[in-house]
Amino acid sequence: MATAVLTTGRELSNPPSDGITNLRFSNHSDHLLVSSWDKSVRLYDASANVLRGEFMHAGPVLDCCFHDDSSGFSAAADNTVRRLVFSSNKEDILGRHDAPVRCIEYSYAAGQLITGSWDKTLKCWDPRGASGQERTLVGTYPQPERVYSLSLVGHRLVVATAGRHVNIYDLRNMSQPEQRRESSLKYQTRCVRCYPNGTGYALSSVEGRVAMEFFDLSEASQAKKYAFKCHRKSEAGRDIVYPVNAIAFHPIYGTFATGGCDGYVNVWDGNNKKRLYQYSKYPTSIAALSFSRDGRLLAVASSYTFEEGPKAGTKADEQDAIYVRSVNEIEVKPKPKVYPNPPA
Amino acid sequence: MGKKKKRVSSKVWCYYCDREFDDEKILVQHQKAKHFKCHVCHKKLSTAGGMAIHVLQVHKESVTKVPNAKPGRESTDIEIYGMQGIPPDILAAHYGEEEDDVPSKAAKVDIPPTQLVGGMIPPPLGTGYPSRPALPTMPPVYNPAVPVPPNAWVVPPRPQPWFSQPPVVSVPPAAPYTQQPLFPVQNVRPPLPATAPALQTQITPPGLPTSAPVPVSQPLFPVVGNNHTTTQSSAFSAPPLPSSVPSVTPVMSTNVPVDTHLSSNSSVTSSYQAIGVPGGAASNSHSYASGPNTGGPSIGPPPVIANKAPAPQPATNEVYLVWDDEAMSMEERRMSLPKYQVHDESSQMSSIDAAIDKRILESRLAGRMAF
Repeated sequence: MATAVLTTGRELSNPPSDGITNLRFSNHSDHLLVSSWDKSVRLYDASANVLRGEFMHAGPVLDCCFHDDSSGFSAAADNTVRRLVFSSNKEDILGRHDAPVRCIEYSYAAGQLITGSWDKTLKCWDPRGASGQERTLVGTYPQPERVYSLSLVGHRLVVATAGRHVNIYDLRNMSQPEQRRESSLKYQTRCVRCYPNGTGYALSSVEGRVAMEFFDLSEASQAKKYAFKCHRKSEAGRDIVYPVNAIAFHPIYGTFATGGCDGYVNVWDGNNKKRLYQYSKYPTSIAALSFSRDGRLLAVASSYTFEEGPKAGTKADEQDAIYVRSVNEIEVKPKPKVYPNPPA
Repeated sequence: MGKKKKRVSSKVWCYYCDREFDDEKILVQHQKAKHFKCHVCHKKLSTAGGMAIHVLQVHKESVTKVPNAKPGRESTDIEIYGMQGIPPDILAAHYGEEEDDVPSKAAKVDIPPTQLVGGMIPPPLGTGYPSRPALPTMPPVYNPAVPVPPNAWVVPPRPQPWFSQPPVVSVPPAAPYTQQPLFPVQNVRPPLPATAPALQTQITPPGLPTSAPVPVSQPLFPVVGNNHTTTQSSAFSAPPLPSSVPSVTPVMSTNVPVDTHLSSNSSVTSSYQAIGVPGGAASNSHSYASGPNTGGPSIGPPPVIANKAPAPQPATNEVYLVWDDEAMSMEERRMSLPKYQVHDESSQMSSIDAAIDKRILESRLAGRMAF
């Protein structure tokens, strides 16, 4: 078992002044987009450690994503979906939901923006259309419950909602889900992320567990699925079970990192069912994770996620922070499977 | 049914819990973490006997059972290391197990009917067998407080596969239901009151519409051995039947995930499976404690009626769930704080308009227009 690295990575200057809800690396550069409870979306150059822009909203921003290197999108608690233009530092409202917008994803394959809200709907937007809800809204798709997490791979969209529902869509035919599933984990879904190879998804819960699922319904594929426990500790005769807030897949190796309320980031090899690495403990809960496009950087949002309710005061070392760490190949590269020598 | 399970002979498995592993190194790792670990100091020993000796010599306690082992395989006397030392009869029995002993791992998936050609069910979804009872039939237990059914009563049919239609069993009117025993006896069901409809336990195979359920004969509660007189607080004690009993539709969990308990996964090595039972607390080797400041009752996993009794497990740590509110997410709870309360711009505008209208109305009533 590899030992934990002493450093947590380089801390970005000018972090948000309240909890971090999500962070995303650009697909084209080392720019990092960060959304926060302080009602802002911030754009950083992660490699240069420079704040490039800031966009203020009317309410907390629950998610954000890139369109390209010149623009991005945000999902806010004021029910709005906004387009952010980095060069001019301007923003415009693409449209609205009837409740806070929890998740946002841009599909390069479909050229559409997908948003999920606590109003129990999924909405697809065409950002190329002129501003104004009527012109940009492609469709509204009712969900069984409030949307908690979204993930895209190619034309596949996975939607995880409250009540442990999981809907799988083909973006080319959104009229109804391709599959309706129930989470194989018994507790509330926290995060869902598709495998980079498009064969399935990882889903985490508030009960320190991650399930590895497959889209293909054949018996052979379904036999491969499994779940494992993580982000737990034994202390004073009791087992403390932490929510698994974040999952991020490495773009090159297909291994993945998980972040939990225990303040740890673990790297896993899903194929070999092994933990590859555990980074040293961060000051507080891990709210979000993102690998850069080439997998050389890992952005870690260390930020209290409200798992223990309102806190009177935050210690100085528990302040919300963004760490960008250089990823060593040994931490993320899957180890070849060693088979025992057959008996003579 | 009698078909032998196709097993890859290279697969190794644990004598104590029947779990399979890809190689013996991982099996040994598993045994050390799950079966040969000292419950006092958590030291990992190489064999069950070694663990028993360690506990006796170092902690002055005696260990007679291997932790987390299946019933009948708890002896510390058999020297097992990986696959070495497994009695030949158990080896033979393991490789000769029948296909239907393996729990179904089919995903619980609902495919919209329009995607099925001619309304057919895809092969992986269209096959299934009812699970067999985990324990042998218990001898009848009699409780004087529970009336014994008369000989004339119709005996319910034996369990059938879900695809066949068993005959409907009619329950004749019974005497008025007066008193429940103080300690309900496990697996002895009092007669239904005259007003109660027949209990039906239904399971719909995946892919078929739920409007046409197929009855399956299932026990109302999981079978628990030996605890014939359990208190009402027991997870498996039968709750008093109400005056009218609704039809019971259990959630059949065909999709129990396989936990990969690798020694590197986490410091917590105890495995648990919560089973919810109507009228009883969740049966669990751990008690889930409520998370702090989450402002609501501890909501466990959705109820599942299980046919198998949980394997007897050693006393384990209490499990404390940091976030235990199943009704809402952390973000939803956080949004309820006053500092995050927002109104979108349109509602803000309407509230401004309302304030202006109110001001105009007030000034008119006062007999002057003041802006």
